[in-house]
Amino acid sequence: MRQLRVAFARIAGVFAGSSADDDLREELRSHVELETAENIRRGMPPEEAHRQALLASGGLTQAVEAVRDQRGLPRLESIVADIRYALRALRRSPGFTAVVVTTLALGIGANTAIFSVVRGVLLKPLPHRDGDRLVYLRHSREGAGGENITFSVPEVRDLRTGAPSLAGIAEYSSWSVIHQGSEGAERIRVGLVTGNYFEVMGLSTVIGRPTGRSDDGPDAPPVAILTHEFWVKRFGGDPAIVGRQLTLDRRPVTVIGILQPAPFFPEQVDALLNMVNSDHHVGASMVEERTHRMTEVVARLAPGTTLEQARAQLAGVYARLHRNYPEAYDPESRYRVTLTPFKSVLGERARLTLWLLMGAAAFVLIISAANVANLTLMRGVRREHELVVRAALGAGAARLRRLLLAESLVLTILGAILGIAVAVSGIGLLTSLAERYSPRASEIRLDVVVLAFALTLSVLLAALLSFIAWLPKEGTLAVAISTGVRRASGGLRKQRLQRALVVVQVAVSVVLLAGAGLLTRTLIRLAEVDTGLTTEQVLTMYVPLLTRADRSNPAAEAVAKEQYEHMRRELAALPGVVDVGVGSAPLRPSEVVWEVKAEGGAPAAGSDPPRAEVRSANPEFFRAAGIPLLQGRPFASTDGLVSPGVVIINQTLATRLFPHENPLGRRIAWTGDILRLYPSSGDWRAIVGVAGDIRHGEPDAAPRPAVYVPLAQMEQLGGSLAIRADSNVAGLAAAATRIVRRIAPTAPIENVMTLAQYRDQALSPRRLNAVLVSSFGMLAVIIAAVGIAGVLGFSVSARTNEIGIRMSLGADPGRVERMILGEGVVLLAGGLVLGVAGAFFAVRVVKGLLFGVAPHDPSTFIGVAVLMAAIGVVACLVPALRAARIDPAIAMRAE
Amino acid sequence: MADRMDVQQGTLALMILRTLEVLGPLHGYGIARRIEETSKNRLALNYGTLYPALLKLEQEGFVKSEWGLSENNRRAKFYALTAAGRRQLARETREWHETADLIAAFLAPRRGAS
Repeated sequence: MRQLRVAFARIAGVFAGSSADDDLREELRSHVELETAENIRRGMPPEEAHRQALLASGGLTQAVEAVRDQRGLPRLESIVADIRYALRALRRSPGFTAVVVTTLALGIGANTAIFSVVRGVLLKPLPHRDGDRLVYLRHSREGAGGENITFSVPEVRDLRTGAPSLAGIAEYSSWSVIHQGSEGAERIRVGLVTGNYFEVMGLSTVIGRPTGRSDDGPDAPPVAILTHEFWVKRFGGDPAIVGRQLTLDRRPVTVIGILQPAPFFPEQVDALLNMVNSDHHVGASMVEERTHRMTEVVARLAPGTTLEQARAQLAGVYARLHRNYPEAYDPESRYRVTLTPFKSVLGERARLTLWLLMGAAAFVLIISAANVANLTLMRGVRREHELVVRAALGAGAARLRRLLLAESLVLTILGAILGIAVAVSGIGLLTSLAERYSPRASEIRLDVVVLAFALTLSVLLAALLSFIAWLPKEGTLAVAISTGVRRASGGLRKQRLQRALVVVQVAVSVVLLAGAGLLTRTLIRLAEVDTGLTTEQVLTMYVPLLTRADRSNPAAEAVAKEQYEHMRRELAALPGVVDVGVGSAPLRPSEVVWEVKAEGGAPAAGSDPPRAEVRSANPEFFRAAGIPLLQGRPFASTDGLVSPGVVIINQTLATRLFPHENPLGRRIAWTGDILRLYPSSGDWRAIVGVAGDIRHGEPDAAPRPAVYVPLAQMEQLGGSLAIRADSNVAGLAAAATRIVRRIAPTAPIENVMTLAQYRDQALSPRRLNAVLVSSFGMLAVIIAAVGIAGVLGFSVSARTNEIGIRMSLGADPGRVERMILGEGVVLLAGGLVLGVAGAFFAVRVVKGLLFGVAPHDPSTFIGVAVLMAAIGVVACLVPALRAARIDPAIAMRAE
Repeated sequence: MADRMDVQQGTLALMILRTLEVLGPLHGYGIARRIEETSKNRLALNYGTLYPALLKLEQEGFVKSEWGLSENNRRAKFYALTAAGRRQLARETREWHETADLIAAFLAPRRGAS
């Protein structure tokens, strides 16, 4: 209450202005007069009486200042004056200002940019209504490919009835369809969803309506809701599109709405369709088979339910399923369901990389702050004289502190403004990195929160900087003035602080460099990975000629076959082309993965049959794509629909199925769930060849088992054209695209790129990651080097006199140089030891991002230490040489 | 002179209030003199300590100020206790005595010792 009253009075005091000041001066004058009169009464001569009265006052100006401080808030005009003064002081030392502002800009900029990504991808609330109530259900089992096996429709039904803690359960399947637009065909990613999807997810349409229950079931008319991104990209945001029909997989689908912008899991989609759009999804197998798992499940927690309650309930439901349907849940495979907040699922792939970058950026900021602190300390020491004079003229400690704070604030805010400019220019690059890891990349922006983050950083830094600066203490003034304060030593304590800061800088730089070194080595190892292909002078383009609707339609298949043959002939006629094949694009993982068994051989008890990628290939494909055949023969043109089924398997599968036998002539067949979908797929197929392992997919993953099937025997797999030329295959892209478009004008043409380009693209997020951490590391080293040189240089100028004496007593320049160098090397060594030890623990964080290099890789650690030491010594040399050139005569005369 | 103490902020407020209670409305100089005399010149009060303290008491509503004429006809600003000031003085005096008793009890020589 009393505080409140004082606060009001002080706020009112702000507006009291000069009249209050006049009043106060008047009061003080009367005080002096009263005291003078009293002194005269006691017998002093008038002049002496007045002098004594003034002496007793303790300084009128100080009193006015002190009362002003109590009267109002720090006054605006005094703040403006402080800032004007700060600007003037900084303009007088442009070098200092430039170095500090640049250092801070880099530190704050890096942090602001990375924070904007962290916020957009990981922290920002979801755009969904009550998005924090959304949970993702993950169904997994042991073994390769079992991390996320999704759910079957009967399983979802059981969850719905058994788990009331989940208020709504939405089903979602990733799917792709070919959209026949006015500008040609394209494959678009879609989600097939149940009618309750939008209600459960808390998403609404910006135009039109979302789907509802009436859109479920096999008899509903097919409808689509476009995502905001696709609507803007493809239809220029034209609202008239709602109500019109699109041609998807050659069937008309009505657009009923445009969705608000929102992230999807596992990947962004272009449209959401009701289930009837896929015959498959409303087919009996999909709806009735318990093991037919194709559905992702997102649910909304019922009001008042916690995640833990839902987890417990779900575990109960799931245990019941295990008991009731033992045939669907092989106990060996440990089927289980986990419940994760939808927000964390969206961020899970980005989390490690982003926090790593955030940590690296924070390190850069620590180093910059240490450097700026050091510079400020040195400057503070040089300014002792000025500050002492100000204090003598009546500036109280609080006033001086405020002055220094104003100066620091001006520096850090300039740094922040420049830093935000740095962040703005870097954000595009970071967004392209985030796109590879997260469906929320489009939500990255420099919003108010990010700006507030940058501002908070700069204010905190300013407070820190003004706090460490030297201030003359009240009471020590006389001493300070009498000694003249010309000695710029700064005292032992201050020097110790400076040295400690340098050690920290070196240590943190070493940690960053170690991380950068490991990531760079990982990148080199990845680029070196042998794909298994004999040549990469290959241009590929994905040209699916059959839509799902055409499958099992012999007429359409015949047309497709003829078109591929036609393309092959014309492409082969292009200059320089050596071979043209059709098959599943090399290096890209196949989406079709089926279980496979060998004739006459049972899989070892308790182990699942191997799951192999199914890949198509025509007779020329192996030669054209550069896939080596280790045994047997390639496919022949006689391996057609009417001839017996044949396959070529890869080395990994051969070893797995026929460990000690010759696989040629043996037979294999698909098995497992796929037989329910395509009953004829269980036919035995003879192995005619064994191909070398190719790393289809991530370069750091082990090769997966693969089965190549003649294109003619499984036309629906479709394929890519593989065009091999003797030189400059990339230059053929335009001509090849023209030919393909002319022959199949309605087919989408995707991924026109050479294998080398594809590899490059696959590595690009990791490259960007390594480049970012490395540039942070280099930045840190440079800043640290400047720090060492600065502190030593300062030490040299503080000791000019001493060095002069030493030299006049016979120390030669070499000796002085060694002395200063030694001083720097001690700091450097301390930093190196601390840094290597720190890095030893810190690299655990990046373990998950490494490939082909151990986290404690000795050569990386040694290399980093040597690099840091070398740069550090060079940085020490500059002030050491300067010390050696000191002329004793001049140095001693200067004092 | 050298062994004069600086007055503590909290106790200064109490001294000012008490001075005004005993002597009635008084100007800053009078308050300072009275406090220095009462302390037998052991306390030194400069303007930079006294006037902010007076202003703070005024902001808290414990004293009010008014320009007037001093005993020798000089213009001076007179400070007077308000009702709230009297209550505050009573409260602080009581608290001060309690604290003083407490400290005295702590510092008293232990019985039976030496």
